[in-house]
Amino acid sequence: MSPSTLSPTSTLSPIAFPDVALPESARRLRAEVRAFVDEERARGTVLGRPDSWLAGWDPGFSRRLAERGWVGMALPTEYGGAGRGFLDRYVVIEELLAAGAPVSAHWVSDRQAGPSILQHGTEEQRRFFLPRIAAGQCFFSIGMSEKNSGSDLASVATRAERTADGWRLTGTKMWTGGAHVNDYAIVLARTEDAEDKHAGLSQFIVDLRASGVRVEPIHLMSGEHRFNAVHLEGVDVPDGMLLGQQGDGWKQVTGELTFERSGPERYLSTFPLLVSLLRELEQQPATAEQLAQVGILTARLHSIRRLSLGVAAALDAGHSPDTQAALVKDLGTRLEGALVDTVRSILPTPADPHATPGSHPELLAFALLHSPGYTLRGGTNEILRGIITRGLEQH
Amino acid sequence: MNTHTVDTGTPFIPADAYDTAAFYAEADAIAIVTNATAPDAVALPSEDASTAELLAAAREAGHRAVPAPLAETALVARPLLRCVGLPVPDGPLSYAIAPELTIRYAHPAASAVGSAGSSGDDDTLLVTGTLRRVPWARSATAVVVLATAPFGPVLFTLTPDQAVLTPGGNLAEEPRDDLYLATLEIPASRVRRISPELLDEARLRAALARSALIAGAAERCVDLTVAHTTARTQFGRPLSHFQAVKQEEARLIEETALVRTAVQAAAPLDFGGPAAHVAIAAAKTQASASAAEIARIAHQLHGAIGITQLSPLHLATTRLWSWRDEDGDETYWARRLARPLTAAALWPTLTTTP
Ligand SMILES: Cc1cc2nc3c(=O)[nH]c(=O)nc-3n(C[C@H](O)[C@H](O)[C@H](O)COP(=O)(O)OP(=O)(O)OC[C@H]3O[C@@H](n4cnc5c(N)ncnc54)[C@H](O)[C@@H]3O)c2cc1C
Repeated sequence: MSPSTLSPTSTLSPIAFPDVALPESARRLRAEVRAFVDEERARGTVLGRPDSWLAGWDPGFSRRLAERGWVGMALPTEYGGAGRGFLDRYVVIEELLAAGAPVSAHWVSDRQAGPSILQHGTEEQRRFFLPRIAAGQCFFSIGMSEKNSGSDLASVATRAERTADGWRLTGTKMWTGGAHVNDYAIVLARTEDAEDKHAGLSQFIVDLRASGVRVEPIHLMSGEHRFNAVHLEGVDVPDGMLLGQQGDGWKQVTGELTFERSGPERYLSTFPLLVSLLRELEQQPATAEQLAQVGILTARLHSIRRLSLGVAAALDAGHSPDTQAALVKDLGTRLEGALVDTVRSILPTPADPHATPGSHPELLAFALLHSPGYTLRGGTNEILRGIITRGLEQH
Repeated sequence: MNTHTVDTGTPFIPADAYDTAAFYAEADAIAIVTNATAPDAVALPSEDASTAELLAAAREAGHRAVPAPLAETALVARPLLRCVGLPVPDGPLSYAIAPELTIRYAHPAASAVGSAGSSGDDDTLLVTGTLRRVPWARSATAVVVLATAPFGPVLFTLTPDQAVLTPGGNLAEEPRDDLYLATLEIPASRVRRISPELLDEARLRAALARSALIAGAAERCVDLTVAHTTARTQFGRPLSHFQAVKQEEARLIEETALVRTAVQAAAPLDFGGPAAHVAIAAAKTQASASAAEIARIAHQLHGAIGITQLSPLHLATTRLWSWRDEDGDETYWARRLARPLTAAALWPTLTTTP
């Protein structure tokens, strides 16, 4: 028999995720967030809707959350953050998503823009943006994708030309979530032509209300307006709004993606629909078959949550577990979609967008119309699977 | 009927052919469990090992397809014996959870209260019935039996030679023997009355042990598959360079990580508690539900070699297919997991741990 090739419990093998034990403080925090969510539910702002991190836009809610210290909470206190770790942040955001709370206004600022400005920004940028982000008063979009740059993001064609005191940006960003309601976008643009297309890219903080920015709506198949094409028609961006080093854009973007890919939003988008199903099943005793299907979904949710927490713990410990993050995103977002189909088969219900808002047929319709996006946003699952196998082969 | 003469010529055996016969010949179960110096032995963990250590050993046993009831002994039989204060025999042990046995008092009390046999002068029992598909019964030093006596749940031990043994096996040819007990007398010294909770703990322990074995076998599938797809070339490139292969391989890796982590979630928990119940029900549901996909992908990417005994892959996949059904399949555990859930309880249940 060949010697065992089982890797020792090396924490960063793509299969062996670190164990997580949330501190006692997290338990208290969770209870506080639940109490807050209950209050908000009573006000009518928490509607238990699927995909609330894309569709639930409510700046007032974001601000009240920020008052509790729960926006930008992993940012240092000197910049207005709460100076708490990724695990505390994890508890807050998973509670909000499970409840279907309207978090989309601050989602990108909290998840990406904040950490990214903290890591790469100038002192001036930190002092300006971070306190505003943590106060829920400054909302960001992500300007990465373009018409011809999706999976091959390094092929971006938006250009930034040098001017006397800054840069002039020209090009069109696509699928820019929230650009019509947010304040800024972090835009990836080409600053130099280079042999290697990963070189010569840089990131800029672009004021979405600056002159030369034209935001054109793109409607989802549900009719909702969440996305836009953002035309940058010679937008002047001052020197001080270059984010990080010129030419480091690719490295910065890929670093950000680890934060983007592994959080609870990658498996909880359709969780509120499962809650709704259980509410329906409380009206009539569940059959053995229904129980079995609910149990199988629950086991998978439970297991994926552990993986996702493992990535949060690794981030907290200062690692950058990109392979694991890709793995969580693929597993989690496939579950989000499968959950919709399974719920439909557990309790056959025609999806109906015109049914009473919040009723099971209406939530089903909403989740279904959003479902193709789960495995696309943040990098398609096909691309992520390439990262996963490479990660294991190199291990 | 036509007769064909088939010239087999020189048999085609790949140079790195795996020696299945040798594996099974080495299946000296007891040696591997009890003698840590045996070649490639996975040592039986010490009796005071933590649950995390026991799970790691069980995973290792699953990974190496250890031909011995290591997980059964370490995670199920020994802890149960210790719980009830019975001596723990040396060597490999097994267990049977058998509510269907017929059990009477060997010495019924002269003045029985209630129905016949409901009280006895002591707890010496007469047991009749069949323990089905007992893992490794033929090589076990003792079998721990959990059953229901007239006075409630009991645990007792027996040795395989006290029963009529009908050999059987699972898809991996691991022994699964039926033991027929013909009015077998079990002395009171080997009988313990137990709480219904302990009976349930036995089920949880067995399910967790089996889940850890599945996690190990799944990792073996990953190791073998990655080794194969990087070594074997087609169209001038290693298999692992093809997009379609990467897609499948990633799913295999993911499913395996999922099972491993689900098992790991139970490690720090106290067996009696509600958190352990959720974590273990979820782990066995997930492990059993993932087994099919893991075996499917591993075989697909191995191509034809994988369906033969020339490749060690079968050691892992036949075990996955067997173990997913043993100690409760995914349907059984999914129902147990789901039964107490309500819309209000779902999220709190999922966040009980960590
Ligand atoms: C809901 C949603 C929100 C989004 N929000 C934003 C945002 O705010 N900002 C932003 O910048 N972008 C955003 N995006 C864009 C998103 O990042 C892209 O859609 C994604 O990167 C895929 O690019 P594409 O749509 O051009 O598809 P393509 O890259 O054209 O891919 C089409 C298909 O081909 C497959 N494919 C392509 N190349 C390969 C390959 N080499 N190997 C295997 N398969 C391959 C893909 O996996 C996919 O299945 C969002 C998308 C969605 C759906």
